[in-house]
Amino acid sequence: MKRRNAILGILLSAAALYAADDLPKGETLVDKYVEVTGGKAAYEKVKSEIDTGTMTLGAMGLKGAMTVYSQAPDKRLVEVNIDGVGKILDGVNGDMAWSMNAMQGPRIKEGEEKAEALRQNRHNGDLHWRDMYKSAETKGVEAVDGADCYKVEMTSKDGKVSTRWYDKKTGLLTKMSSTTKSPMGEMQAEVFASDYRKEGDVLMPHKMLTKVAGQELAMTIDKVEQNVEIPKDKLEPPAEVKALIKK
Amino acid sequence: MSRRLLIFLLALGCAAQTLSPDQRKLNLDSFEKVWQTVRDKHWDPKINGVDWPAVHAELLPKMEAAKTNAEARQILSDMLDRLHQTHFGIIPSDIYTDLETSGGPEGPGIDVRVLDGHAIVTTVEAGSSAEKRGVKPGWEIVKVEGKEIAPVIKKIQDQFAKSTLLDLRLSRSVLGRLQGAAGTSAHVDFVDGSDHTVALDLERGAPRGKLVSFGNLPAQHVWTESRKPRPDVGYVAFNMFMDPELISKTMQDAVEGCRDCKGFIIDLRGNPGGIGGLAMGVAGWFVEEKGLKLGTMYLRGSNLNFALNPRATPFRGALAVLVDGCSASTSEILAGGLKDLHRARIFGTRSAGAALPSVVERLPNGDGFQYAIANYISSGGQPLEGIGAIPDEEVRLTRRGLLEGHDAPIEASIAWIAKQK
Repeated sequence: MKRRNAILGILLSAAALYAADDLPKGETLVDKYVEVTGGKAAYEKVKSEIDTGTMTLGAMGLKGAMTVYSQAPDKRLVEVNIDGVGKILDGVNGDMAWSMNAMQGPRIKEGEEKAEALRQNRHNGDLHWRDMYKSAETKGVEAVDGADCYKVEMTSKDGKVSTRWYDKKTGLLTKMSSTTKSPMGEMQAEVFASDYRKEGDVLMPHKMLTKVAGQELAMTIDKVEQNVEIPKDKLEPPAEVKALIKK
Repeated sequence: MSRRLLIFLLALGCAAQTLSPDQRKLNLDSFEKVWQTVRDKHWDPKINGVDWPAVHAELLPKMEAAKTNAEARQILSDMLDRLHQTHFGIIPSDIYTDLETSGGPEGPGIDVRVLDGHAIVTTVEAGSSAEKRGVKPGWEIVKVEGKEIAPVIKKIQDQFAKSTLLDLRLSRSVLGRLQGAAGTSAHVDFVDGSDHTVALDLERGAPRGKLVSFGNLPAQHVWTESRKPRPDVGYVAFNMFMDPELISKTMQDAVEGCRDCKGFIIDLRGNPGGIGGLAMGVAGWFVEEKGLKLGTMYLRGSNLNFALNPRATPFRGALAVLVDGCSASTSEILAGGLKDLHRARIFGTRSAGAALPSVVERLPNGDGFQYAIANYISSGGQPLEGIGAIPDEEVRLTRRGLLEGHDAPIEASIAWIAKQK
């Protein structure tokens, strides 16, 4: 029995080694994503972007208009107007991350939540991933919506681990998984990206489905404007948030 | 109770209907949707100790045999009743249609509580037919449409004697009898302040406030009120935790208009709840310390704190929160949490003990399906479900006090504020 187990163990180890040797490196996959979606030069040409679309919380019947303003190198604002809820703002500006909505009021993000927000909202973040992550390690192959994908574990410079799945055939990012820590607690979220279409010279997903806390949040991008002027004050935190800084 | 009355009327109206094969299939799909949702999303994987597969096996044949939509709906309600928990229920599709076309049932503009076994008018809306006809707080409602109210009260009291939901069910039962279609009247027999019987036909009008939608919840009329009952005391009331922008603006204006006030009153009496997250936003106006929470909701597989974001300039004075047996859900989360944080003193009577965070989805047959997604534990470590927010100072309304123009819980909270340094 012991011998059989030992043989089985060796076989499994060998299989694991073979699999590991056969997998492309994580950083190759992340870089490949930049290439297949347009390449470094195409990304670098985009200095600002305004995406408009819709956000729906399907199960609850909530729907709203969404606009994402992004300005190189480090400013972004997500503005959502949901019927019955009102305006929800979530932004990063330099080294600051904040949110404001009528339900919970204004808030400045701190700690892990702030670090995660700065990583996720960096303009052209995929291009500059090495500034934010210390490693990208391929962990295996898993199916996402029926398509084989490389599973890549990303470790940020502050040690936070998140996971990405890149399609084996296309190199496109199809799924992300991360745990966000905030005053409301730890929330594990899975984001599924699809409907890749070219905007300018960059191929980008137009549908993002987020699964969090048993609910599904769908975002659809209908229009993308690149290198348009965004009024400076649009990306500034609102007065209510600034008042918290002074506090 | 308007919704319950409507359900009853609709059930009667639908009694003669028969189902087409398509309707039957939609009802069966709805049956599976409800059963599976509870199985997959109830925060307790043991489904509160209920043998859920057995419930499916028992009720599926009944659903297959259902001859009307009302019968099918009743079977879905029976399934959810097995959980013995609040915030699980079926909302008939007709209610959505009714609200979209007429704005929902209308009433004569009075609020009611059952005090010492009697249905007593507690407020009369300005401009309502009740006010125009001279109805006053403290009047007793003895008959509606010629039918005695006392037996109804007795029956509910017997049935819910040990339930924290008793006051809520009593009040809604009486209010439901007063409500009806737009343009109709309610014939009501009152006993006035001089103990004389007064019979009035009260025209029903649109409820106070504006009609607000929130996802799959039927639209609701929402109002807010802020004033200063004394120059150094602020006061805010709202009938539901809906329309976040309206409530946020009301709170902001009230707090900023009361910077030098000694105390502040949040009146949640009769407020059945609404959007849970709004409790955090309201509480944020009254705390200074970061890292506080009203409580925690326990979902299947994750927990979410009702974390507070202190405003830049919160109100620092004494805070009183008023609740009664008709304060439920988000009202209890706010009141119970502020009490546990020792930030507010609670006045009134025990709240309804119906405080499970829930969502509403539409079923394949068009009905709404409300289901709780989490258990909720207040920051003091106790659940509110089945217990409620318990006042620090129990103060009851009385008929005599109302007739004399007194609102005892408000007066008690003002007296307490006056004693604070």
